[in-house]
Amino acid sequence: MSLAGLRRLGAAAAVAGLLALPEVAGPFWMGLATQMSIFGLLALAVDLLLGHAGLFSAGHAAFFAVAAYTTAILQVRHDVPTALAAPAGLLAGTLLGALFGLAVRTRGVYFILVTMAFGYVVWGVAHRWSSFTGGDNGVTNVPFPALGPLRVASHTQYYYVVLGVVALCALGYRVLVRSPFGLTLRGIKASETRMRSLGVDTGRHLYVAFLLSAALASLAGVLYVYYNRFVNPVAASFPVSVEAALMAIVGGTGTLAGPFLGAVVVLGLRNWVSSFFELYAAAMGLVFIATVLWAPGGVVGLAGRLRARWAPGAVSPATAR
Amino acid sequence: MIAAAVLQALNGASLAALLFLVASGFTLTFGLMRVVNMAHGGYYLLGGYVGLTVVEVTGSFGLGVLGGGGAVVLLGLLVDRLLLRRIGENHLAQVLLTVGVAFVIGDVALRIWGGDSLKVPVPPALRGAVALPGGLVYPTYRLALLGLGAAVATVLWALYRRTQLGAVVRAGVDDREQVSATGVNIDRLFLLVSALASFLAGAAGVVGGAFLTLYPGAEWEILIVALVVVIVGGLGSLEGAIVGAVIVGLLDAYGRWLLPEFSYFVLFGPMAVLLLVRPRGLFGREA
Repeated sequence: MSLAGLRRLGAAAAVAGLLALPEVAGPFWMGLATQMSIFGLLALAVDLLLGHAGLFSAGHAAFFAVAAYTTAILQVRHDVPTALAAPAGLLAGTLLGALFGLAVRTRGVYFILVTMAFGYVVWGVAHRWSSFTGGDNGVTNVPFPALGPLRVASHTQYYYVVLGVVALCALGYRVLVRSPFGLTLRGIKASETRMRSLGVDTGRHLYVAFLLSAALASLAGVLYVYYNRFVNPVAASFPVSVEAALMAIVGGTGTLAGPFLGAVVVLGLRNWVSSFFELYAAAMGLVFIATVLWAPGGVVGLAGRLRARWAPGAVSPATAR
Repeated sequence: MIAAAVLQALNGASLAALLFLVASGFTLTFGLMRVVNMAHGGYYLLGGYVGLTVVEVTGSFGLGVLGGGGAVVLLGLLVDRLLLRRIGENHLAQVLLTVGVAFVIGDVALRIWGGDSLKVPVPPALRGAVALPGGLVYPTYRLALLGLGAAVATVLWALYRRTQLGAVVRAGVDDREQVSATGVNIDRLFLLVSALASFLAGAAGVVGGAFLTLYPGAEWEILIVALVVVIVGGLGSLEGAIVGAVIVGLLDAYGRWLLPEFSYFVLFGPMAVLLLVRPRGLFGREA
């Protein structure tokens, strides 16, 4: 069978497996799978900048959290229906992205530092402005989402909602990164000077990419708050931002499957380790270190390297693009 | 009102002194070695905790500062030699690696020193408050911190700008290969600057732990405020770290006083303005 056929078969099997999961898995595994999808989406948002435009954001938890807070506060305190509260969350996070998009005036290390500091501002406000955000307790008792008479009634049903939204995003993402816009981003990543000399307004392209990425992170935040049923400043904290980047890298940056694979590996590992080892935050730290030292190309890159070893002459997906 | 404003200025200036101790090491390691060390906040926290234990055992604040700084110098050397060396100048890899190191430091420190806020005891000579002209009363310790910050800034600046060693370091910032080709042992220079940066961070943890207290998560808070200092001042510039620390220290103090709930948001202001006007920071150069 050809490589493309094999890949298509694998994708079909994965979809079938995801759809059938509630039949075989208990509530714990369903919860974990929902989390993996949501954080995979956040990692995908981070990777739009990292893998396609070459900018490493260390502050995406800000959009994620602002969207989650907005939706939660509207839904819990003002009884706003999901049909308005969810889009409002998405909008709030995206608007924050329009402001924080200032960061694209910098490159390289500066961009990392600036986004990290921006993200911290949001954490600080969530933590300090307790009359509005509920301080460290956050906003609790978020209900399951409901659209008119359609009401999500169980974690299994919500799993399907998340799966559907994530699938739509993945399709849209695929179209986006293959569009002229996506290719321009890749061009900027490879050489910004060259793209500029071709007449491309690179700053504007990066700003739009930043906005789209913030919107995707906000969507993940909205999905998260309906899953988690509460939100507190932890959602805005630096570890959330940097773990999303880690997921993209562990899975393989610049790919569609990579961020989701990374979410599966990172969250799976954390759940597994925390079941027997108290120092699981330190264990996560070791995962960071190990990834950088031994698997900088992530799972996808590792697979490519193995394939190259077994079938010399075959081009790995990481090098052929 | 004026008295309160002056008090806040003193608060801001003493915070600036602490921020300078943390930010100067970060900025110098970047300037010379092109290393972004996100574990710098972890160094601060670990130094503070070790210093606290030393102070509790020996009763000497000075030994605590030396102990905290010294412990971090050892750790910093290990991180440099065993980890950072292996990945070269890839900033993304450096960030992830050092974030990992910071996670390990934070978690191990949590198991050893627990999750409560701990305060390093202030040395007896610096307890209490002094009366200042105009009827103001201000804590002695924070005035001493202000003096310490100013002294360290002066010494570092003089070393950097007025000595031969400083000239070599500055040359290294500009062009490492060239300096190395003139026969300077660049490796030893890196070792020296890296040890100095680690020591400053660790010592700052002890000094800062006596008024900001030490607790899990403090490593990120101090790191990010120090990063704002570096962003405002310009990455890699010692003068930038001095000016940036004063700006951020004062803004933070006045922000906490005037807009307590949005004090963090106040830090966003100078960064946003700077990004619009001068993305490389006040003293930063085109990279």
